[in-house]
Amino acid sequence: MDKGLARYLINEINLMATEEIKIMEVCGTHTQMISKLGLRSLLAPKIKLLSGPGCPVCVTDERYIDRAIEMIKKYDVTIATFGDMIRVGGMEGSLLEAKGKGRDVRIIYSPLDLIKMAEENRDRNIVFLGIGFETTAPVIALTIKTAAERGIENLFCLTAIKLMPPILDYILKQPSHNVGGLICPGHVATIKGSDYFRFIGVDYCIPAAVCGFEASDILIGIHYLVKQIRQNKKAAFKNLYRRYVRSQGNPIANQLIEDVFKVSCGVWRGIGRVENSTLDLNEKYARFDAKQVFAVEEKSIKSTSCECKDILLGNRTPKECKLFAQLCNPVKPYGPCMISSEGACAIAYRYREEI
Amino acid sequence: MEQIVNLRHGDGGKYTNLLIREIFYKHFDNKLLVNSQDASVFEVKQGKLAFTTDSFVVKPLIFPGGDIGKLAVCGTINDLATAGAKPLYLSCGVIIEEGFELSLLEKIAESMGETCRKTGVSIITGDTKVVEKGSIDGLYINTSGIGVVQGEYCPKPVCEGDRIIITGGIAEHGTAIASERYQIEVQGDLQSDCMSLNKLVERIEKYMDRIKLMKDPTRGGLATALNEIAELSRLGIHLLEECIPIKKEVESVNQLLGLEPIYLACEGRMILVVDEECETILEEIRQCDGCEDAAIIGSFVNNGIRPMVFMETYIGGRRIIGSLEGEMLPRIC
Repeated sequence: MDKGLARYLINEINLMATEEIKIMEVCGTHTQMISKLGLRSLLAPKIKLLSGPGCPVCVTDERYIDRAIEMIKKYDVTIATFGDMIRVGGMEGSLLEAKGKGRDVRIIYSPLDLIKMAEENRDRNIVFLGIGFETTAPVIALTIKTAAERGIENLFCLTAIKLMPPILDYILKQPSHNVGGLICPGHVATIKGSDYFRFIGVDYCIPAAVCGFEASDILIGIHYLVKQIRQNKKAAFKNLYRRYVRSQGNPIANQLIEDVFKVSCGVWRGIGRVENSTLDLNEKYARFDAKQVFAVEEKSIKSTSCECKDILLGNRTPKECKLFAQLCNPVKPYGPCMISSEGACAIAYRYREEI
Repeated sequence: MEQIVNLRHGDGGKYTNLLIREIFYKHFDNKLLVNSQDASVFEVKQGKLAFTTDSFVVKPLIFPGGDIGKLAVCGTINDLATAGAKPLYLSCGVIIEEGFELSLLEKIAESMGETCRKTGVSIITGDTKVVEKGSIDGLYINTSGIGVVQGEYCPKPVCEGDRIIITGGIAEHGTAIASERYQIEVQGDLQSDCMSLNKLVERIEKYMDRIKLMKDPTRGGLATALNEIAELSRLGIHLLEECIPIKKEVESVNQLLGLEPIYLACEGRMILVVDEECETILEEIRQCDGCEDAAIIGSFVNNGIRPMVFMETYIGGRRIIGSLEGEMLPRIC
């Protein structure tokens, strides 16, 4: 980005910051870029940037990991997962520990690699940990559809795909919520369309903007939001990521989601049950549902002293957690926000901005 | 000869000899090695010697821009070079998994021999072990190296205002390994920077009295190496993001994989700490093959707090650059 433009935008934003303004972003990539750019060190202290529940690993329930580990123990399945998931601890340890004990845990980059893996290992039952938001849902759907078309019988999916609007509803319905403006996740909007986030202004009177991930995208987004807040245009909404995001999103991707999944009640780590907040495989694809095929007993959750819930909901910043950087760090993470590279705490730790 | 390595190739008998002669002697070819018995004997001039060792377990064995053999030779040569030493001789110990393809072993030995010839170093002693299938993953190599310390070089105290030079683009080795491991096909030029640095050190020998520190940013990358230097010097380091040389391809692949280039290994780069008048040294470095993109990337500051590395981002923000914590990409070298 042009330095001059960045300086201009930062200056303009800071000039408008005569009172405290809290802006939340709900995408791990935004969280990361904001820290990587050192934006907080450039913006006036009155502009507070909060990180919401935008990291799929961080919001995945402990029992999900335990379930996967139980499946390995009870049914000797192969677990295939995205890399970040492997270090997340459930109550019974992490998949990395299971791998260390000789269990078959494999890291994949694209769900489509699973087709090849399943075809090359016909004697193994492979359970894919299908997590993510609306962004990863289409490619997981495509994988399941492809597996069905090719008659693959040894591939299963343990789904925990989360949906954005219900968790935003959850946050914004809290009377004490801190959010003055919302940076909407550009990736989710690429799939679902910018209209998917219009409800923020309409239902909650909070200005919102769909933003991309370059420095200019984020600065223009913050500038827009601060301006609307200052001008009291509370229902303002704008798609600022028009180079990728259409108002209705990507119809092919949405068709895939519709073909394969159904909406159901989801469990969010540290937050609990949120109605209509997750995607499960629908009846047509139920035979791929690892939950049904490899039934295991569900355990109850022990409580921890970690403040991830408040961090995920934007009520606290990572630095306000008493465990941050002391007892909880990337080598020995306590809470999920420190484990994933997209977690708010891991990012705050990695890109510490105070000098 | 057979197509694969068997346990008998490691029993010390006839087949071991055959393997050594037909593969290692053939490619490492030098009198000291061929005529040696249990140890090689050589003469040295008076002066200071440098001695180092390193083991190589990189996966995959062959990657864009190099292979485990080239890496094993360059890695040890570079450790000697950062001590200001001219490398003389190397040892080479290989541990091979039963069933390893002989043609691949020969390719790796050939690459080691070729790298040695290019850099003027000889492998004069070695060892070969073969272990049962499944007990290791393919092939591991250990090299040790001995060299003579040249000229005036010795590490000197770093002062406020001293500059930091990197001799080329960062993270190229780590990114090449990552792209190979995750099978990301990259259009353009993405290769490991794996190369020996002894020629570079020879070239800048005349400036050794002004070079305060040399360090190769291997595992843990530029960030970790600079943190070690900051700790050692008790000074802060102010880096300028826009000055750090990084290839477009490297940047894109890392964005895709969610890796941080500043933490990824280089295998043919050197960090130099020099005094403020460093333009002539930089020009000299840039004349060296593979160092065309060398750049001054930052300087030492006395920030009064604890020694730390911080980066001025390209839009003017600031953030702290810590050491690598937690593995990013295992078995990178």
